[in-house]
Amino acid sequence: MVKIALEWLASCAGCELSILDLHEELLDLLEHAEIVYAPILMDVKEIPDDIDIAIVSGSVRNEDNKERLQELREKSKTLIAYGTCACYGGITCMADLYSPEDLSARSFSDNKSTEPAEQPSEVVPELLPIVHPAGDLADIDYFLPGCPPKEGLIKDVLIPLIDGKVPEIPKKSVCADCHRQMDHVEFDKLKRRVVGDMDPEKCFLSQGYICLGSVTLGRCGAMCSAAGIPCHGCGGPSLDVLREPNHDVYNCLVNRIAHLSKMPHKDVEKQIYDKGHLVYGFVIGSTIMENKKVSLIPQLIKK
Amino acid sequence: MKQIEISPVTRIEGHAKITVQLDDSGNVSDAHFHVMEIRGFEKFLEGAAVEEAPRITPRICGVCQTAHHIASAKATDAVFGLKPPETAEKLRELMLLGQYVHSHSLHFYFLGAPDLVMGPDSDPAERNVLGIIKNNPDLAKMAIKTRAVGQHITSIIGGKPVHPVTAVPGGQSKGLDAEGRDKLLNDAKECVGLVEAGVEVAKPLFEEYADAIETLGPVETYFGGLTSGGKLGFYDGQMKVIDKEGSMVHEFESNDYLDYIEEKVQPWSYMKFPFLKQVGFPDGSYRVGPLARLNIVDEVPTEKAGALYGEYKDKFGMAQNPLLYHYARLIELMYSAERAVELLEDDAIVGEDIRQGVDSLMTRAEAKESNETLRGVGIIEAPRGSLIHDYETDGAGIIQRANLIVATGQNNLSMDIGVRETAKALIHGEEVSEGLKNRLEMIIRAYDPCLSCATHMINGESPLLVDIHDADGILVKRHVI
Repeated sequence: MVKIALEWLASCAGCELSILDLHEELLDLLEHAEIVYAPILMDVKEIPDDIDIAIVSGSVRNEDNKERLQELREKSKTLIAYGTCACYGGITCMADLYSPEDLSARSFSDNKSTEPAEQPSEVVPELLPIVHPAGDLADIDYFLPGCPPKEGLIKDVLIPLIDGKVPEIPKKSVCADCHRQMDHVEFDKLKRRVVGDMDPEKCFLSQGYICLGSVTLGRCGAMCSAAGIPCHGCGGPSLDVLREPNHDVYNCLVNRIAHLSKMPHKDVEKQIYDKGHLVYGFVIGSTIMENKKVSLIPQLIKK
Repeated sequence: MKQIEISPVTRIEGHAKITVQLDDSGNVSDAHFHVMEIRGFEKFLEGAAVEEAPRITPRICGVCQTAHHIASAKATDAVFGLKPPETAEKLRELMLLGQYVHSHSLHFYFLGAPDLVMGPDSDPAERNVLGIIKNNPDLAKMAIKTRAVGQHITSIIGGKPVHPVTAVPGGQSKGLDAEGRDKLLNDAKECVGLVEAGVEVAKPLFEEYADAIETLGPVETYFGGLTSGGKLGFYDGQMKVIDKEGSMVHEFESNDYLDYIEEKVQPWSYMKFPFLKQVGFPDGSYRVGPLARLNIVDEVPTEKAGALYGEYKDKFGMAQNPLLYHYARLIELMYSAERAVELLEDDAIVGEDIRQGVDSLMTRAEAKESNETLRGVGIIEAPRGSLIHDYETDGAGIIQRANLIVATGQNNLSMDIGVRETAKALIHGEEVSEGLKNRLEMIIRAYDPCLSCATHMINGESPLLVDIHDADGILVKRHVI
């Protein structure tokens, strides 16, 4: 029996839920593999030795997270960074837009409903200056981004791994799965997502709404755009962005909008009203993304 | 002084530890429930366009993501002064019921019930849902099927099973078509039957563990939650607070929560301690969630859940014992399935008018000049209790300040006191059995705490170790459990 462990670091538990969302297929999976450690589900409290496949979700927010990740790496043959937080930092890394002191102050000393107090410091661990994707601090065998990865994907990856094979998974961007029609439309104004009525058949970018589908890995099946919501980039950067040193989610997005609308690049850049939350929201903690020459992340993060 | 540490508490959402201090004669002098990390959502929402909040805040918690999504969307409605059309309100309520079916069945079957089905002293390697799958596959299949209905509802109404996206300022981005409605209606009807079967399994367990219900986690508090006209409901209503005897002490609208609720920081936990401002800390501690809701309402307005509620009230009256959270949760699970059927049978659910739009917005430059502040408070009943999102934006709708009061925080003091009182009653000396330590965890589990939410935090904690320290704090003995 292949031994599987699940560990969560700074995460929301959505990744673990996506595994439970295999529903009855989970029972089939359990005929081939044994879960030996998973704090959300079981009382085994120490990471066992000799794990075949470890699945880690979340990012690294403090020393404890870091130690835990290292221990998991040492004890497992194959380590999967599962979910966008583990791969690229995910939404937890939006914290890097502010200093840890400011984060703490908003919660404990400068908060509308709270009697002002010092940040808790007994028993609780200190925060690291910035948040790291698990994948930046450990050798990872497989990166499986998604927020969370779509439930079927875990099966597509785990079953081949259990059988000793290399999994084959899709590599296209979100746009490749989106049903919307992309047109060149001349416009000179980007629209906030809250304004106006969106055409349900037309590409969001063609309508002047910011959508990250073209720069995002598409294993989600473009579910948000099918539900009338532009892509927020939660699946992490597309392979094109990852591979090309001069491609970055921001500059590729600007290029795409300029190309579709015939607006000058500078005008597009002026109108992108929030780079931190809207464009880099899910990848701001990633060293891979930050180290790109064209990246704006170094200007945005506060240590 | 010696210390017993249980870390991490397992089968809960997020991470925490329990410490128990022993005096020189081996009796418990103090005990606490600690929550260990913070992610800082309240801060990093600042600067975001407020319409992004409903898709940022579900990531506070992947378990009660829909609850955050909807509370957040309600706050954005208020910021822009929008009133969603009837169909949108019903779709949101249905999505929230999907949240309840998934979350309550996840908690009961996957996280809480193993203590009761397998027994609190059973082998910890088997005392989990995987043990139930092995020993009682039919029960496990029923659990999986029930939860799947909740996730299907969220997926179809919310666009995704985890971190839904369709609630937007002024309504919903996507309606429900006739085909989707038929499918969900079948699912919801099947779910009522599945919950009935689950209740039959659970009821004898509450008889069997009557002693544990009486003794574990004793505490008496105020209770709070939303209700409309005394009825159980999750999406809307007024906040009602009752005292220990059941008399109403407050009733208020969401916008006024700051007049009634205050939070206290303790140095040993990142999770804050909300209390009733007009009573003070700690006497004003109150609880929320299923137990609280069944205490504050006069009626559970669906057939089968209403009948279960009647039996429960006759037996337990104003219930204070935390293990009864499990019982109350099952009654709410039944209500959720029945209410989903009601909503799906209502033709308004497939209406086409689903969103009131925003026509225009100020630019950032205009907003800076105008100095206008907009505020929106969204409040709903999340599975674990009342959830408040409060945003202040500039005139362009860019968040300047955000305040979140989540359900689990409101139960923090009760969990802490419950652990301490139980430890005092049960622990004498440093040799403590695994089953006894598990009973302390069972108190925490009863509340179904969502610690990811509670400090908008999570933690990668050390393995479950029981450390015995000597008077100088030097480690003398370490048990790995």
